[in-house]
Amino acid sequence: MVSRVQAVRAAARMTMKIFFADPQWIIPAIIAPFIFTLVALLLFRNETGPLLLYAVLGGGLMGMWGTTVYGSGTSITFDRFNGTMEATLAAPVPLMWIIGGRVAWNTFIGVINGGIILVIGTLWFRTGISIANPLAFTFATVVTYVSLSSFGLMLATVYVLTRQGGFIMNSLEVPVYIATGTMFPVALLPLATQPVAFILGPTWGIEAIRKAAIAGYTGLATSYWTDIGILAIETAAYFAISFYLFGRVERLAKRNGTLEEY
Amino acid sequence: MDTSTSLRRRVSMAVQVFTSSIGFGRKGTVIWDSPEMIAMQVFLLPLFQISFFAVLAQYLDYSGSAVQYIVVGNALQAMSYSAVFAVANITSTDKWQGTLETLMVTPANRMALFVGRAVFQSGLSALIALGGLFYASELFGVSFAHADVVGVLLVVLVTSVTMMCFGLLISSVGLFLRTAMILANIFLFLTMLVSGVNFPLSTLPGWAQPVGYAIPMTYGTSAIRLAISGASLGGIGSLVADEVLVGAVAIMLGYLTMVGFERLARKTGRFEEY
Repeated sequence: MVSRVQAVRAAARMTMKIFFADPQWIIPAIIAPFIFTLVALLLFRNETGPLLLYAVLGGGLMGMWGTTVYGSGTSITFDRFNGTMEATLAAPVPLMWIIGGRVAWNTFIGVINGGIILVIGTLWFRTGISIANPLAFTFATVVTYVSLSSFGLMLATVYVLTRQGGFIMNSLEVPVYIATGTMFPVALLPLATQPVAFILGPTWGIEAIRKAAIAGYTGLATSYWTDIGILAIETAAYFAISFYLFGRVERLAKRNGTLEEY
Repeated sequence: MDTSTSLRRRVSMAVQVFTSSIGFGRKGTVIWDSPEMIAMQVFLLPLFQISFFAVLAQYLDYSGSAVQYIVVGNALQAMSYSAVFAVANITSTDKWQGTLETLMVTPANRMALFVGRAVFQSGLSALIALGGLFYASELFGVSFAHADVVGVLLVVLVTSVTMMCFGLLISSVGLFLRTAMILANIFLFLTMLVSGVNFPLSTLPGWAQPVGYAIPMTYGTSAIRLAISGASLGGIGSLVADEVLVGAVAIMLGYLTMVGFERLARKTGRFEEY
């Protein structure tokens, strides 16, 4: 168990070092999701009051998600580019823990990105940062961070098997923005697609964040703690699925011998 | 060998390089080279992008015409994933695969080589835009009853080619950078902001507007809205001409940048710097 925790820490530290050693990657990791979010926020330019804070908070989550999905994709894809995929898989620690460390760092950068969007959004739109319950807001943000990490980890299993991870991660960005109600209530979506929203952690994360931040906010007919509870259950499910999938995928990749196929 | 024979030979070789590069443009970009990936780009990318901005506009009680403005703009802009992002990464893909030096020691005409490689992505981007326009009509209520179909198709075609030229300009800068993916990411999304896709250029701060006018997409979004509303070819002619001009400037700048960076990289031995 200790070696696995060490592997997570070492992988996170390594990813951090690579990130700072090659800061150009800040652009696709942070600036690109930021520009997309800015376009969405500009559509709110004629709005005032709580709706603006609603949008800015949603923009923060979009930034977090954009960076997470990018990071989880690149966590494997860069191994392929650099020719280190086989060496990583041959390490005496299951792949899940190595990727887990990388995703944890990338999601942390996502939280920073969300924070930057929040600050710029509040300054640009002059909403003012008046968080109704700062403690609950911080707690919801931390739980959402863990949930996004687990979701990113689950996605990363797909990238072990395919060289098309980069494209898949780009394709997943906007659907999640839509399905999780980052910028508009999920009730506006077609009825058939709404169940998708409820199995995605970010839906409950942004609900809890908004309930903590906006006084009198009425989104889904759930309480703050119900949102947190569902988010925790879904996060546990993502970790369990990741655990199962990584085991399967690792075995499959070794058996087929197509890991470096590119 | 006299001058005309030499010129004819060079043109003939450039055409040969161009045609073979078209085939390589598809095969070489292995990441995209599967029917399911192509189908995802054509059918899913425009659907999700249009849906996000259209539902957001409806939520904010934008008028019907404003929502349709957004839908059509995003239908055309979705092509940037292929015409800008994928094309911009052409030089970087060679860096990743370790084939750039080999490529650069060939005497192949650079313009023919890189334009040829980008042609596949340009065609794909036109398909993505057509997919977007199909959704605009069938799911988002944009009426094509008065549309000048030839005009619409012309704008899609011209925008896909001129945005490819713009993508190649970014790609040429990427020759000297570690990777063009950085710039590709920025310009992929920047076109959403400054090209009249979701709101008119006039709503942007004065300093941001010239950036929009330097991108072919800006003229494309205006022209396609006019063509859909029934403007004739004559009505969209000046916009299309401006778009072609901006695209031509982009490709020429891209060529000069590539040749310049190639010389610099040869001199400093930094071709494969990554």
